[in-house]
Amino acid sequence: MGTPASVSEQLAADFQLNVTLEQRRRSAAPGNGRVDFPPMNTTAPAGSSSTENDQLDVSTESDADRKARFERDAMQYVDQLYSAAMRMARNPSDAEDLVQEAYTKAFSAFHQYKPGTNLKAWLYRILTNTYINLYRKRQREPLQSHSDTIEDWQLAKAAEHTSSGLRSAEAEALDHLPDSDIKNALQSIPEEFRLAVYFSDVEGFAYKEISEIMNTPIGTVMSRLHRGRKLLRDLLSEYALERGLGTPAAVEGVKGTKQESAK
Amino acid sequence: MKDCEELGDCPDARIEKLYDYLDGELSHKDLVEIKAHLDSCAECAKEYDLECVIREVVKRSCTEKAPTSLKDNILERIGQLKTAGH
Repeated sequence: MGTPASVSEQLAADFQLNVTLEQRRRSAAPGNGRVDFPPMNTTAPAGSSSTENDQLDVSTESDADRKARFERDAMQYVDQLYSAAMRMARNPSDAEDLVQEAYTKAFSAFHQYKPGTNLKAWLYRILTNTYINLYRKRQREPLQSHSDTIEDWQLAKAAEHTSSGLRSAEAEALDHLPDSDIKNALQSIPEEFRLAVYFSDVEGFAYKEISEIMNTPIGTVMSRLHRGRKLLRDLLSEYALERGLGTPAAVEGVKGTKQESAK
Repeated sequence: MKDCEELGDCPDARIEKLYDYLDGELSHKDLVEIKAHLDSCAECAKEYDLECVIREVVKRSCTEKAPTSLKDNILERIGQLKTAGH
């Protein structure tokens, strides 16, 4: 493992490099505004209807059929892509624009999508590319300050406990954090880490799928996930502490040192 | 209580192993080993629980529903694309 500073610089450089490569690929693509999104290697089908498409010959499909297929198979992921776009764009209106742009691109490139492969991951990859290429450049303004929205703050509703019943104080504390804290914490970690964690935790994508979505080697995905998760965990324990939900001992426990229970 | 070293030499290695376990990215052999270990080691089981909770809260907090207009807007734009291209 390298030093934290150089690693994060390297990650930033990785991300930048991917952008450049992608731009090069795109500028080499024929046609006006045509984007090249060849099928991903991932074979796990992610849509209920993908199996019925396995035999489909895309080359003979009529425009109307293709549009119908797109509406049937791709449009079911709008909410999920919007939610991911919220992690990228930081506000609802920009997230909407981003999703709309991504869907437009996806439709234009839909003939390149291989039926039976993972459509959801393919769409996520287009979303991520759209964000990187088109959107991120515009975001010059500093991060919005994390004004904690107090109205969001409600102690967890009759918390459904996990089966273990042995939850530690810190686990309990984190579970009681309001959604706004979780979002803020995720938003505060570096973007490459944030997206990796989001793809893994919320969408349950495998490392390989994330590597294809983010156009980055699996090793990089793993390092982004590991670092992102640690950062997130530390932030969440800080928030819990600020909310008076945890004890300093609990936070120490979170950081992996031993915890002596004080009665 | 001393830090458990069965899953790795340092706390970082141990946690990363748990991450991979939770992500379903371990070989069957490692998986069985960790599962057995978690059953017998309270310290690691606590870490595991904590990681589960973090995943739960992230999932819970980060699943917004798109505005209803978004779907319509997309369909409208796709419709225009089609006629424009032909």
